[in-house]
Amino acid sequence: MSMVQLLQTKAPTAPAKPRPRVRLLPYLLSLPALLICIAILVPFVTAAVYSLQRYRLNLPYLRGFIGAGNYIDFLSDPAFWNTLRISITYTVLTVVLELLLGLAIALLLRRPTRFHNAVSIMLLLPLMTAPAIAALMWKLMTNPSFGILSYFVSLLGVSDFKWASDPSTALFTVVLVDVWVYTPFIMILLLAGLRSLPRQPFEAAALDGVPASFVFFRITLPMLAPYIITASLFRLLDSIQQFDIIYAMTQGGPGDRLMVFQVQAYLEFFQYTNVGRSAALLMILWLITNILSNIFIKNWLRLRERAHGHA
Amino acid sequence: MEHSSLAGRIFRGVALTLILIFFMFPIVWIFLMSFQTNEQILRIPPRILFEPTLANYTALISGQLHTAAGNLEISFMRNLFNSVVLSSAAVMLALVLGVPAAYAFARFKFRLGETIAFTLLSFRFAPPLLVLLPLSLYYQELGLNDTYFGIVWVYQLIALPLILWIVRGYFEDISPDIEHAYRLAGHSWREAFTRIAVPLAGPGIAAAGLLSFIFCWNNFVFALILASADKQPVTVGALAFVTASGIQYGQIAAAIVLSVTPTLLLALYAQRYLVEGLSLGAVKG
Amino acid sequence: MARLDINSVSKSFGAARPADALSLTVEPGEIVAVFGPSGSGKTVLLRMIAGMFEPDDGDIQVGGRSIVGAAPERRGIGMAFQNFALFPHMSARDNIASGLRAKAAGDVATRVAAISKLLKIEHVLGHTPRELSNGQKQRTALARALIGNPEVLLLDDPLRNVDAKLRYEMRLELPSLLRRGTAAVLYVTQDYREAMAIADRIAVLIGGRLVQVATPDEIYAQPASVAVARLFGDPTINLAEVVPFAEHGALCARVSGAMVGLGSADVDALERECWLGVRPEDLVVSSSPGEGAIPAKILAITPMHEKAVLLLRLADGTEWLAALPPEAPRGAADDAVFIGFAADAAMLFDRATGQKIGLSHRRQAA
Repeated sequence: MSMVQLLQTKAPTAPAKPRPRVRLLPYLLSLPALLICIAILVPFVTAAVYSLQRYRLNLPYLRGFIGAGNYIDFLSDPAFWNTLRISITYTVLTVVLELLLGLAIALLLRRPTRFHNAVSIMLLLPLMTAPAIAALMWKLMTNPSFGILSYFVSLLGVSDFKWASDPSTALFTVVLVDVWVYTPFIMILLLAGLRSLPRQPFEAAALDGVPASFVFFRITLPMLAPYIITASLFRLLDSIQQFDIIYAMTQGGPGDRLMVFQVQAYLEFFQYTNVGRSAALLMILWLITNILSNIFIKNWLRLRERAHGHA
Repeated sequence: MEHSSLAGRIFRGVALTLILIFFMFPIVWIFLMSFQTNEQILRIPPRILFEPTLANYTALISGQLHTAAGNLEISFMRNLFNSVVLSSAAVMLALVLGVPAAYAFARFKFRLGETIAFTLLSFRFAPPLLVLLPLSLYYQELGLNDTYFGIVWVYQLIALPLILWIVRGYFEDISPDIEHAYRLAGHSWREAFTRIAVPLAGPGIAAAGLLSFIFCWNNFVFALILASADKQPVTVGALAFVTASGIQYGQIAAAIVLSVTPTLLLALYAQRYLVEGLSLGAVKG
Repeated sequence: MARLDINSVSKSFGAARPADALSLTVEPGEIVAVFGPSGSGKTVLLRMIAGMFEPDDGDIQVGGRSIVGAAPERRGIGMAFQNFALFPHMSARDNIASGLRAKAAGDVATRVAAISKLLKIEHVLGHTPRELSNGQKQRTALARALIGNPEVLLLDDPLRNVDAKLRYEMRLELPSLLRRGTAAVLYVTQDYREAMAIADRIAVLIGGRLVQVATPDEIYAQPASVAVARLFGDPTINLAEVVPFAEHGALCARVSGAMVGLGSADVDALERECWLGVRPEDLVVSSSPGEGAIPAKILAITPMHEKAVLLLRLADGTEWLAALPPEAPRGAADDAVFIGFAADAAMLFDRATGQKIGLSHRRQAA
C-alpha cells in the first residue's frame, strides 16, 4: 500500500482516537506523602532486621544474625512474661474503666442543654493535657510529704499510702492517671454518637411505655455499638503502647512493676543498649497492635462513611 | 429516657458533681499551687485561702532560681520556645504536604493513594518506638539527631495522618461539580484548587491544623529520644526540671501550668472540631 | 459561531454502557433537548462534552476542532448544573463574573449588570448562594453559564430543582434567552413537556443509545418506537396487540373483537404481530355504536381542569385511557360506551423490535 493510498483510506475516518490522558496529577500531589511513608517504612524494616540480630551498641563486634534467637529467648525470660502480663493488665483495666465511666458520663450529658455542653467541654481539658505532664501533676498531688491526695487518704485513716512508689499500689496509680486523661476521649465520642442516633425508636418506645432498662440494652446499646467499638479499639491500641504516663511517673518501677512493652523496650535500648532485644520486643507489640488496628480500621471506615454520607 | 423524678434528678446532680470534681480538681489544684511558696505548699493541712505569689513564674521566666543551696539555672523558657517552634513548624510542614495529598485522595480514586493513606493511618497505631529507635541510629549517621529539622520530620508521624484523613473528608464533602463549574468558566485545576477547594475546606484545614498542633505539643516520646536538652519541648523539659529542681514544687507547678495553658486554650477554641479530630474524621461533632 | 459535533461517542463504566456510539450535531443557535428516562446516559453525555471524563471511543468537536483530551477550561463551554454548583463562598455577583475574569474580558461590571438584568436578579447580586431562593440560584447559575458567550452551552436539567410555578415561567423565558447568542445548546431534561417547549429538536436517549432525533412535533406524531411513544404524552399512549390484515384495500385490525380501520393498506404491516398505538386525546367516546367502534366500559373518570381522563376497559380486558376536552360529554362510571379513532391517528409498531412501521398517510402534526 502506497503512502497516498494510506492517506486516502485514512481520511474518511476523521474522528481521531482520543488520546488517553495521562493522569500524573494525583501522583504528583501525593508524592510528598509517599516519601514520608517510605521514610517510616525504612526504619520499620530496619527494626524487623535488628530483631533477628544479636546487636548490642556497647559490643558492636558481636553483631550477627541469630534468626529467631531474640524471640526464643523471650519464651524462657520471666522479664518478658512480666512485660506481657503488665501490659495486658494495664490495657484491660484502663479500657474497661474508661469505657464504663465514659459511657455513664455520655448518658448523663446526653441532652444537649447549655449546662451539659459546658460540662462536656470542661471534661475535655484532661484529654488535652499532655499525658506526660498529667503524670507530673498527679505526681505532685500524690507526693508523700505534701500531696493533697496523700492528705485526703490520711484523713480516711490510711497513713502509709505510697501511691506510685509502692509496688502494690503503683499500677492502681498509673491506671488512675490514664483514666483521668482518657475517659473524656470515650465520653466525647460516645456523646457524639448518642446525639446522632435517630429519635424515632426512642419516641416509639416512650409511647409504648417500654421500661428504661429495656430501652438501654435493646435500643441504645446496639445502636451505639459502632461508636463503642471504635472508641474502645482506639483506646486499646493506645493503651497497650502506653509510655508517657508510666515513664514520667515511675520509669517502669518500682522494680519491674510497671514494665510495659514500650518502657521495657526503651530501657533495653538506652540502658542495656541491646538493640536486637529491644527491636524484637517492639515487633511483638507491633504484631499485637497490627491485628487490633486491622479490626479497628474496618469499624472506623464504616463510621466515617456514615459521617460523610459516602465512601 | 427523661429521669424527671426528684430522686433521679438528685442522683444525676450528685453524679455530675463528683465527675466534675474528679476531672477538674487536679487542674485547679496545680493552678493554685503555682501561686504558692514552698512553705505554703508544704503546710499541713493544706489551705484553700493563701496569699498568692508570682515568684514561681518570675523565677521560670528570668531563668534564675534562688534557693538556699545556691542559684540554679532553669532553661524552662527555652523548652517553651522549643515547643512553639517544633509544633508550629511540624504543622506547617504537614499542611503543605498533607493538604494536596488529601485533595488527590479525595478527588482521584487511585490505588497508590489508598495505599499511602492507609499506611500512614496504620502507622498512627504502630508502636512509635518501633520507628523511632532505628531512626535515632539513622539520624546519628545523617547528623539529624538533635536538630529542629530532624525532629519536625518525625512529628509528621502524628500530624500527617490527622491532616490527611480529616481534610480528605472535607474535600470529599465538596461537590466536584462546583470545581468543574469553576474550570469550565476558564480556570486551571490549580486555580480551582486554591480558590474553590481550599477555601471551602478551610474550616476543616484550620481544625486539622489546630489539632495536630495540640498533639505535637503534647508529644513526649519523640523528643525524649531525638532531642538533647537545648532542643527539648516542654513535655520532656518539665520532667527533666522535676529531676533537677528537686523540691521546688511551686516552680514545678508553674512550669506545668505554662506547659498546658497553650493547648488547653487552643482546645477550648477548637472544641467544635475536637470530636472529629480525635476520631481522625470518623465521627462528626 | 461553532457547531457541536458528537461523533459515535461511547463510554463504559464496568458493565454499564451509558453512551453507545452516540452521534449528534447541534448547529450554532440551535437548541437540542436530550431527553430520556433517568439512567439513560444524558448526564454522562454532557459530562463527556464538558471534559469531566473522556469518551472511550469517538470524537467530540466544537467548530470542527476536536476537544477530546482538552482541559475543561479550554473547551469554550458554558454549563448550568442541575444542583446549581454555585460557589458557596462567593456572592452572586462574583459567581456570575467568575467566567469573565479568567478571560480578561473588558468591562466586567457592565456585562454582569446586563446579564443579571436579563435574568431579573440585579437585586440579589450581593447575596451569597445560601441567601438565594432556589429560583434565584437557578438564574444565577444560568447567568454564570451565559455571560462568557460560550460556543457550546450545556444545561443539565436546570429546572429540576425549582418549584412548579417557576419551572413554568422559565419554560417560557428560556428559549429566547438561549437563542440570544449563537451558542449550540444541549439541554438535558427528564420532562418531555419541557423538551417540547424549549427545544428545536429533541434527541431521545434510551439505555445509552439515541433512538430518535427529530423536531418535537415529529417525535410526538411519529415516534420511532413504542418506547419513544410511551415517553411522550400524558396520559401515556394506549396500546393493543394486533395483527393487521387487508380488507377491501384498506388496512384493518381487530381490537377487542371489533374491527377498526387503519387507513389504506400498508404492505409492511400486513400479517405482522404489531402494537397498535392510539394517543388518549385521539379517542372519541360515544354512547352509541358506530362503524369501527370498540365496545368498552367506563371504570373511572378523573376530571382535570383542561381535560377529563377516562379509564376504560375493553371487552378483552385491555385497559385504555381517553383524554376528552372538558366540554365533551363524558358519561359516568360503569357506563357502557363505544370508542373509536380516526384511521390516521393509529400508529403501528413491530411487536418483536418495538420499531415503528411506516404508515404513509400519518398526519404530520399533533
